[in-house]
Amino acid sequence: MAESPVDVLLKGSSGRSARGLLRIIILVTIAAAAVSSRLFSVIRFESIIHEFDPWFNFRATKYLVQNGFYDFWDWFDDRTWHPLGRVTGGTLYPGLMVTSGVIYHVLRFLTLPVDIRNICVLLAPGFSGLTAFAMYLLTNEMSSSPSAGLLAAAFMGITPGYISRSVAGSYDNEAIAIFLLVFTFFLWIKAVKNGSIMWGALAALFYGYMVSAWGGYVFITNLIPLHVFVLLCMGRYSSRLYISYTTWYALGTLASMQIPFVGFLPIRNSDHMSALGVFGLLQLVAFAEFVRSFIPGKQFQRLLTASIILTTGLAFAGLVVLSMSGVIAPWSGRFYSLWDTGYAKIHIPIIASVSEHQPTAWPSFFFDLNFLIWLFPAGVYICFRDLKDEHVFVIIYAVLASYFAGVMVRLMLTLTPIVCVAAALVLSYILDTYLKTSPGPVTRGRSNDESSEGLRSARSPEVGITSYFSKAVTTSAAIVYLLLFVAHCTWVTSNAYSSPSVVLASRMPDGSQFIIDDYREAYYWLRQNTPANSKIMSWWDYGYQIGGMADRPTLVDNNTWNNTHIATVGKAMSSREEVSYPILRQHDVDYVLVVFGGLLGYSGDDINKFLWMVRIAEGIWPDQVKERDFFTPRGEYRVDDQATPTMRNSLMYKMSYHNFNKLFPMGQATDRVRGAKLPAEGPQLSTLEEAFTSENWIIRIYKVKDLDNLGRDHSNAVAFDRGNKRKKASKKKGPRVLRSE
Amino acid sequence: MKLLALITSLLYLIPTAPAASYTDKFKQYQSLSRLAPIQLDDLSYDDITSKPRDYFATVILTATEARFGCVLCRDFQPEYDLIARSWNRGTKPDDLRVLFGILDFRNGKAAFQKLMLQTAPVLLVFPPTVGPYARVDDSPLRFDFSGPISADQVYAWISRQLPDGPKPPLVRPIKYMRIVSGITILMAVVTLFTVLSPYVLPVVRNRNLWAAFSLIAVLLFTSGHMFNHIRKVPYVVGDGRGGISYFAGGFSNQFGMETQIVAAIYAVLSFSAIALAMKVPRIADNKSQQVAVVIWGAVLLGTYSFLLSVFRAKNGGYPFFLPPF
Repeated sequence: MAESPVDVLLKGSSGRSARGLLRIIILVTIAAAAVSSRLFSVIRFESIIHEFDPWFNFRATKYLVQNGFYDFWDWFDDRTWHPLGRVTGGTLYPGLMVTSGVIYHVLRFLTLPVDIRNICVLLAPGFSGLTAFAMYLLTNEMSSSPSAGLLAAAFMGITPGYISRSVAGSYDNEAIAIFLLVFTFFLWIKAVKNGSIMWGALAALFYGYMVSAWGGYVFITNLIPLHVFVLLCMGRYSSRLYISYTTWYALGTLASMQIPFVGFLPIRNSDHMSALGVFGLLQLVAFAEFVRSFIPGKQFQRLLTASIILTTGLAFAGLVVLSMSGVIAPWSGRFYSLWDTGYAKIHIPIIASVSEHQPTAWPSFFFDLNFLIWLFPAGVYICFRDLKDEHVFVIIYAVLASYFAGVMVRLMLTLTPIVCVAAALVLSYILDTYLKTSPGPVTRGRSNDESSEGLRSARSPEVGITSYFSKAVTTSAAIVYLLLFVAHCTWVTSNAYSSPSVVLASRMPDGSQFIIDDYREAYYWLRQNTPANSKIMSWWDYGYQIGGMADRPTLVDNNTWNNTHIATVGKAMSSREEVSYPILRQHDVDYVLVVFGGLLGYSGDDINKFLWMVRIAEGIWPDQVKERDFFTPRGEYRVDDQATPTMRNSLMYKMSYHNFNKLFPMGQATDRVRGAKLPAEGPQLSTLEEAFTSENWIIRIYKVKDLDNLGRDHSNAVAFDRGNKRKKASKKKGPRVLRSE
Repeated sequence: MKLLALITSLLYLIPTAPAASYTDKFKQYQSLSRLAPIQLDDLSYDDITSKPRDYFATVILTATEARFGCVLCRDFQPEYDLIARSWNRGTKPDDLRVLFGILDFRNGKAAFQKLMLQTAPVLLVFPPTVGPYARVDDSPLRFDFSGPISADQVYAWISRQLPDGPKPPLVRPIKYMRIVSGITILMAVVTLFTVLSPYVLPVVRNRNLWAAFSLIAVLLFTSGHMFNHIRKVPYVVGDGRGGISYFAGGFSNQFGMETQIVAAIYAVLSFSAIALAMKVPRIADNKSQQVAVVIWGAVLLGTYSFLLSVFRAKNGGYPFFLPPF
């Protein structure tokens, strides 16, 4: 058989470099695909920051770029949480802002004047390319097959589970955190494999970067100790393990403590105690191993083992006592709610109220991962075949992350990397097996003679695939599934994950696109028509957007650090005007903003979120706000003429439906979200007046009236203006006083 | 019981005595039961809540007898006991007087009728009418039970009704039994493990066992089991025509059985992938290998296509499908 030119390229030393080049080209292509599939929203809408949290990150980045790093570190923000303010510099993860700040300054230095907004918008796609590369490195450590890494990189690049949080404009912590997560895990595996201080230190360095970027670093903080712990339990202690873990723990903890927001948490918080405990355990085991190598004697070894177990038990008991006595803080609420799934709903309604903290139904898994979701268990199974240290890591990660992803939708993000690794492992194994050209026994398969140890399915020796037909069938099926995966990812990304949610798009009956830009319309109205210092009250979801787009002080925002303050807003929204008005006055509120979707059928509006406001307010004032009062006696949540009086008199209801019935012919007013026909008589507002309503009525802004000039209360003043006769004072039950609490 | 009846009849005489004796009423009732809540009947209930009173009277109206089938009442009984004991044992301001009483339906039908109670339990707090904490509005404050509730929540509510100031904390008795039994069980497990280790260790170290365990866990979690657990979804729901609808409509809805079907689908798909990857290349015979490839490939294709069709039913507008279904 004559050597074809392809053979020259693929064999020998020139073949190695050709393959290296090919690999680089493939990786660059994957990165390009990863970046470009995230640009749907920029192409469709414009270069704009998405959703809620990114607006704060964007605002903070602008502050950092304008005022420099040290000012940013000491930033006290008096334009949020009015009148409390927020020590922003000490209560955020600065990694994201600093990253884009550095990129901005580097580009400036290279005389490329790029707007900071464009850097922020494109940061997430850019880092997704890096994530694909990190994924390649991580998977290569798991498998001897050269294709596994490339497949994993490709999966990671386009899987919707990761795209959902990293499209262009989604300028959130996760944008860089997933890259750091994967890369830290790669460095950790490398450290364990080589037992090298350098890789351990690098892992610690990137762990520190991760801590500075995302609160999800706790996942790494617990997963790596768990990996070490399981390895110890399996009797796989080695000096490699000792070196890598102690290096990582010591340096990583020091690095993480440099972030003001984290501070002394790593030594005082239960979330981090497993890392400390495993560190101590590892010292004990290392000591025992050391002593064992000097002293033979079976009895003594037994004594040693017993003493180690005893010490561990004592240390554990000490830990329990310390956390009981309060020296070590208990589990933080968010973390705790992962284990006790009913906890958040009872104790921290504000966490339970966030939609991304809801449990995950199975269609979401399939939606986000497509066929990877069923390759995933197979990949985990493949890991049991060799079961080296790094495979143990994959298995632990897989089980834990699938639990977390099942409990909370947003943690799908931490599941995605390991799904990609596992799926790539199994798929590359299949493709390698079925694409080998030479039939007959394959040398790669280890003939398993330690049959008690290995997997049942891997006991007999591997012979390879003999018929071309089998090869063709399986390979073409795999290609079909892969193509379907690509189509699925593109479809999902384009349809579900590329909406900025600040700008909404819908289709007109004739198929043309209809852009709903009410949010920006309203925020710019605020920016241009209100004094720079007027305080805006809204539900906390919109706090960051108002701060970022309208540049006005807000009462509460998405940071949600002060539950009482949020409950105050909830109470003002859910109470009668007579109760709400003093609250508004006390907090200097000038404008109140509500989101109303009834005209357009936009379901994410405030009436649908209203019960959470009630619940959170009830948590603080159980006697004044009661969730039960908002349900009809038959237990329904209604807004039509059957609505309870409490509901109809609440400020939120009045603001949402104020003048709504005037849009329709008499008695025809319909709420398209809840499909309810509204009463003919609309609600009357007396302490607020309508200031602005956006084009599609999604945002409604009300101005809080000043005190009446004549000293009347507002309902009287409004009644007078309308020309109603003043009611007899004797009709009142008692003197009406402004309630202040 | 006889003694109680005697005291009750004595008490019955007291209201006829001059009104100045209301200060003794508290002491008398308090002496009835030093720590536990006072068992009331119709007469003593009327007396304890009668008008000149210089104490807070906290009364729970309940029906603990089995024939009423009030699970809530029986569950809450020890919790209420706990509240009363914690209060009576703890240190509190001298002039803050609180009585804790229980009126069971068995003894207090008249009181239930008078209050027109349809449900039990109901907790009433009668504020004092005279003394330093007297209130203008002396009507009782009512706590409605809407579900299982712990002593802490009820105690917090009671505390809010009482005047501000220091109040004894709620102390749960230490369950020595549980600690002792826990330690015993722990030691038993350790002993058992040590003794049985030659037999147990091979099982614990069995790779296949752990593989099965992890795969089941992964399949369970990725098919939405936690959603069922948290949301308490129904197992199956009828479709209104006498049949069963296996799949819930809507993207973020599911039934218990649905997740099991999905888990089974994932399992079949995974195992055919494993078979193609690991089992088939180990079949030495050419012919049977080819048959195995075709069978597993067909199973994979069919199941995946079924999965896609199910997903399409859940998510209207999903455009992709595979041939058979």
